Amino acid sequence: MTPSFQQHIEPEWLARLQRRDVAAFEHVYRRFERAAWNLALRLSGRADVAQEVLHDAMLKAFERAGQYRGDAPFWAWLRKLVVNEWLMRLRRDRMQLFEVFTDSLADDEAAAPWAMADSATLDRALNRLPDTARAVLWLYHVEGYTHIEIAEQFGRSVSFSKSQLARGTRRLRELLHMDKNGEDASCMIGSIGNA
Amino acid sequence: MHDRLDRQRMNDDALAAALRALPMGEPPGNGWQRLAVRIARERRRRLLSRIALPAALAAGVAFAVWLPQVRRAPAPVRAVAQQAATNRAAIADVAALRAHSQRLQDWVRTLDREGAPLDAAALADAVSLQNRIGLIDLQLSATHDSSASAALWQQRNALLERLGLLRLQPYSVAMQTRAARTDTTVL
Repeated sequence: MTPSFQQHIEPEWLARLQRRDVAAFEHVYRRFERAAWNLALRLSGRADVAQEVLHDAMLKAFERAGQYRGDAPFWAWLRKLVVNEWLMRLRRDRMQLFEVFTDSLADDEAAAPWAMADSATLDRALNRLPDTARAVLWLYHVEGYTHIEIAEQFGRSVSFSKSQLARGTRRLRELLHMDKNGEDASCMIGSIGNA
Repeated sequence: MHDRLDRQRMNDDALAAALRALPMGEPPGNGWQRLAVRIARERRRRLLSRIALPAALAAGVAFAVWLPQVRRAPAPVRAVAQQAATNRAAIADVAALRAHSQRLQDWVRTLDREGAPLDAAALADAVSLQNRIGLIDLQLSATHDSSASAALWQQRNALLERLGLLRLQPYSVAMQTRAARTDTTVL
């Protein structure tokens, strides 16, 4: 079960966090640690990167808590910090594997292999996706971001988000088919430009 | 057309459900401890930079004033004068530094008595500073050389200043937070 960010944080803790009280920060950290780490893990596909993203985002939350005015729920503000932090790292490290999206299995209406796949297989396939496609897939389907919100976060157009979602879904389908047929999916990950 | 869209929507829903059903991972157990160390290190670095920069500037100004005066005197006279000046300055310095140290200590004591409680990281810093001051006091009790004493008193005063600033930190953070609240935006 995916951990949810959607947790209410009591106003007293928030007020203390805004006064930069370390005990309040520890409370907030422990409340959101698992959800934030899992989101960072799903975005990056790597546990070590997830830990760094979590810490950098949490430190930003501590430093900037005074700027939080309550226009949106605290969890949404914190989640945005995590996604931002990962995107900054992505831009800095250029971590994404560039991939050729082959459209041989482009039929989006075909039976969904994820309905039959066990979680380990799906997890493995998800981690084989290019970083950007995996993140768009996760933000859209799990975190409930709209294409407009994804486009804003990535600083790209709405069609970029839609295209990454479609291609990521197609690639996930291919990877799951290959896994089912015992093929080596790693040979498909090439070094030609991303869409 | 509608059938196709329906099938695609069903596939999307199935994918969302499958992704949401993926098991949660467990973050490393020592996450908070590692972050707390980072916070303490960051605070120390900021405090040091706040003290070190003004101190370096003051030393630079003092050096700039002192150097032209020394350069104007002839070489042998300069050496003798320098030695005598150093001795006189060292003795005068020690008395002045000791008096200044007493004032700083009173100031820190007042802050201790009336100030806001420190958080865990600041408290650890304060204990470390107090230990170092205690060590300098031991060295002072065993030193009779006025130049060495002056250096030790200077170190003692610098540590007392840091201790005082550490005690003042909750107030400065609160002021910054209030200022930030008035002119910043969210999200």
